[in-house]
Amino acid sequence: MLNVSKKNHSSHNSIRNRRGRSESKWPQRLSVRILTLNRPKQLNALNSNMITRLMQMFLEYEEDPNVKIVILKGQGRAFCVGGDPLPVFRDIVIQGKSWRVGADFFSEQYKLDHIMATYSKVQISILNGIVMGGGAGISVHGRFRIATEKTVFAMPETELGLFPDVGASYFLSRLPGFFGEYVGLTGARLDGAEMLACGLATHFVPSSRLTALEADLCKVGSSDPVTFASAILNAYTKHPKLKQHSAYYRQVYNIFFHLLLLLVFEFDGYLLSSFNSSLRRLDVIDRCFSRRTMEEIISALEKEAIEKPNEWISATIRALKKASPASLKISLRSIREGRFQGVEQCLIREYRMVCHVLKREISKDFVEGCRAVVIDKDRNPKWEPRSLEEMKDNMVERYFERVDEEDGWEDLKLSPRKNLPALIIAKL
Amino acid sequence: MSENCALRRANVLANHILQSPHHPSTISLAREACLQYTPPEVNESYGFQVKEMRKLLDGHNLEDRDWLYGIIIQSNLFNRKERGGGKVFVSPDYNETMEQQREISMKRIMYFLENGVFKGWLTETGPESELKKFALYEVCGMYDYSLSAKLGVHFLLWGNAIKFFGTKRHHEKWLKDTEDYLVKGCFAMTELGHGSNVKGIETVTSYDPRTEEFVINTPCESAQKYWIGEAAIHANHAIVISQLEINETNQGIHVFIAQIRDQDGNICPNIHIADCGHKIGLNGVDTGRIWFDNLRIPRENLLNSVADVSPDGEYVSAIKNPDQRFGAFLAPLTSGRVTIASCAIYSAKVGLAVAIRYSLSRRAFSIVANGPEVLLLDYPSHQRRLLPLLAKTYAMSFAANDMKMMYVKRTPETNKEIHVISMGLKALLTWHNMRTLQECREACGGQGLKTENRVGHLKGDYDVQTTFEGDNNVLMQQVSKSLFAEYVSCKKRNKPFKGLGLEHMNSPRPVLPTQLTSSTLRCSHFQQKNVFCLRERDLLERYTCEVAELQERGKSREFSFLLSHQLSEDLSKAFAEKAILQAVLDAEAKLPAGSIKDVMGLVRSMYALICMEEDPSFLRYGYLSRDSVGDVRREVSKLCRELRPHALALVTSFGIPDAFLGPIAFNWIEANAWS
Repeated sequence: MLNVSKKNHSSHNSIRNRRGRSESKWPQRLSVRILTLNRPKQLNALNSNMITRLMQMFLEYEEDPNVKIVILKGQGRAFCVGGDPLPVFRDIVIQGKSWRVGADFFSEQYKLDHIMATYSKVQISILNGIVMGGGAGISVHGRFRIATEKTVFAMPETELGLFPDVGASYFLSRLPGFFGEYVGLTGARLDGAEMLACGLATHFVPSSRLTALEADLCKVGSSDPVTFASAILNAYTKHPKLKQHSAYYRQVYNIFFHLLLLLVFEFDGYLLSSFNSSLRRLDVIDRCFSRRTMEEIISALEKEAIEKPNEWISATIRALKKASPASLKISLRSIREGRFQGVEQCLIREYRMVCHVLKREISKDFVEGCRAVVIDKDRNPKWEPRSLEEMKDNMVERYFERVDEEDGWEDLKLSPRKNLPALIIAKL
Repeated sequence: MSENCALRRANVLANHILQSPHHPSTISLAREACLQYTPPEVNESYGFQVKEMRKLLDGHNLEDRDWLYGIIIQSNLFNRKERGGGKVFVSPDYNETMEQQREISMKRIMYFLENGVFKGWLTETGPESELKKFALYEVCGMYDYSLSAKLGVHFLLWGNAIKFFGTKRHHEKWLKDTEDYLVKGCFAMTELGHGSNVKGIETVTSYDPRTEEFVINTPCESAQKYWIGEAAIHANHAIVISQLEINETNQGIHVFIAQIRDQDGNICPNIHIADCGHKIGLNGVDTGRIWFDNLRIPRENLLNSVADVSPDGEYVSAIKNPDQRFGAFLAPLTSGRVTIASCAIYSAKVGLAVAIRYSLSRRAFSIVANGPEVLLLDYPSHQRRLLPLLAKTYAMSFAANDMKMMYVKRTPETNKEIHVISMGLKALLTWHNMRTLQECREACGGQGLKTENRVGHLKGDYDVQTTFEGDNNVLMQQVSKSLFAEYVSCKKRNKPFKGLGLEHMNSPRPVLPTQLTSSTLRCSHFQQKNVFCLRERDLLERYTCEVAELQERGKSREFSFLLSHQLSEDLSKAFAEKAILQAVLDAEAKLPAGSIKDVMGLVRSMYALICMEEDPSFLRYGYLSRDSVGDVRREVSKLCRELRPHALALVTSFGIPDAFLGPIAFNWIEANAWS
């Protein structure tokens, strides 16, 4: 399920080295390790084995003085669609095991995310396909994230009755303006160009050039890996155009285009207005998703929709209305709290939240979401509480409290890490 | 968390020790190329849950505060800057001209408006909405006090004047439009010739029954309205405070609404407006001067909750005594003082968070040859400079919260108490802020001079607080006078003291022990019941005695007050400091046993003892002997050592986002690096 790339096989190379063969022949291979998530049928969904193995490899490489760069990629059409909810569902719903079993899975996943977020070596994730939820957790926290024209990114947790976890309250809250709230609450799909524009990706490389890129990265040798990798990646990176209807467009672009179009062409009025609307989206996002409460966000969007109706805004409102009201409210609060917290605190808070989600005392939406999306696939979940108004502040509050009444429950314990300043200053 | 920190700390120490053999004593010659920045978090651990402490300190509406912090940080309107490896800071660009600062401040307010920050500020009532308003107001002030001052003028002065002095017709016409900023208001009270003495203002309004209009006039230069926030550019309406003359009889101070600009921003006829010019701070507020040249306004524009003029020009008031009318008129000003005092404490918090974080990462001088330089906060003298101010800020924070609670739950019975307490706290808290900022500025050394590090510039911006909405010295005299009145009235009617925290006067005079041990000094009963009560009681008795003696010698009451200013000053300070101590004690008493309660105990003792150390009254009037004062001083120094390990946790508990502090609070080496 997790392949260590053969051409750079670690044990192979290290044996070679110990036997005293020429280091110069394969010096690059010693310093770059390529890990491939290999569960393509499940779109590389993370199960606990993979998580344990990834953690082992990452820690081992961190200790290994030869390793300078760790490349993480996925086999098939996905990088990784995130933590696999099925085993958790099976354990705690079908087999009726304690919710703690599920919590253990999340705890391991968050610990892995934490290691990556504080990793002292260079992690490069190649996001050549679908990246969702936990897939973002094992890539966005790393130093470099390569998007391609095949990348599809989303944090779809609110339609699963969950919330953007895996440290998402940390990285989403640090996106420009209120784009993080938009991505985290609506589960909106982003393409590679959009990921690059908002900062979720650091580079964009056409997929046809990935093989060559990997080969070049393997030549790191004794140079400083960050400078080296930056230089190589910069050489390969393209500046993709945002598609016309992208949500990630700012008004600033617009003014220039607008003037240009007016001056140069006798532009068709209708075309101009539709062009205009697609360019205004980031402003609309900032205007609406900055509101204090979920209810205010939706009513601000509805107001925009009345004033300037378009397909994107209707889809955005639909997505929010389809999502679990409980999930929306806790997700919003989580992102807002995350804005002022380090990644460590974010993960600890998210772990508290996920424990309450699994415990299902306040809402059972996670089970219902899994049923509707993963098991029965009817995509018609019956949320409880049914509306945002019924999800009261004191209910939201409870998700952020410790699970004190539970025997032996503890806050997420993250092991101390070497490069502390990274904890305090985001890579994003 | 704390275990992690402890492990981390152990690791750091282990690395130090393990690595030291590799760098033998040649260190001074072969010193590493550069100093390394170590975040305070690496070597300091949290001895208590900072999140819980923050809940106590902020007291209310934490989520609303965080939301507003967030919308400031995430917007490009707030001069967002990245410094030192991706760390984001927001702080006004003080290099902008006065005109630019005014414009950007207004834009920021419009952005808040769009996001619904002001929703319900005037149209909703009840404690919840008032507390939310306080919280959001405090956050604005932490970004830039110009914003708070502008909002204060518009909502608390213009808006509340209409709300409190107006009647239904005014409420319907103005409140919603004010909340939506369709009307921009200002408050024209102060004149060139009269500030704190409102009764003496010279602007005159008369009534013309033929046209059913009031005529407002500025009779002389000293009557020009001065320091009118928002008047220079933005406001289009003004509350005008003026003498009302009906049939050549002066009916005293009254409140009117006048339009001063049209919708396009042009100054209306019969109005002259000039700018107050550049100030030492608060340049985002367009402070102006106004002259009225027989300006005519409709009869309905008299805010008539206290008194009215009938269409044919007859004066009607339910309150016959002009002095009482004046009292009713001043009462709403309390809300302004409450917010000023609480904002002052948040400003002190910013200063302390910056200075203490810096002192936990900046080193200076080695105490042993070739040894490592010492962290600033490990110097006892540096602790003595900052930690007592930190403890005072904590104590005052609780006092400000209590005052806010008292205000939002006000009843006619509690009005007097709120009035007196808010005067005392406004003065003490704003003075404390100025003193704290100066100490923090110096504690940051040269870095404190940079506006990006916030502390220095806050001084300029917040300085105004010590004199506006009542000059601090005048307010403190008012406090003493109120205590005097209370004392005299209780003695005359031979009734026990009730209210204003004077109940202790009904018990026998406390006697202080001659030997003060450490545990006595830290005992809350000793601090509050004995020391602080004794000082207040004795000063109140001395003050009333002195005033009475002067009166007996034929001086007028007012003149006697004036001559007793020294005792008055001591008394009002004793009163306010005791009220603050009571607030910490109340907060502490509510806590369950645990680490937070323990730290609060240290903070409270530090507050009590530093007040005792700093106030010469204790020696002057002999409450403490010279030996005892020495004991107090030693205990302060001990408390500094005990609070030192909690310094980081105590400032982290302020809950101020990193972006609101200056770059020197974080990696100041990287923030100042060449590339």
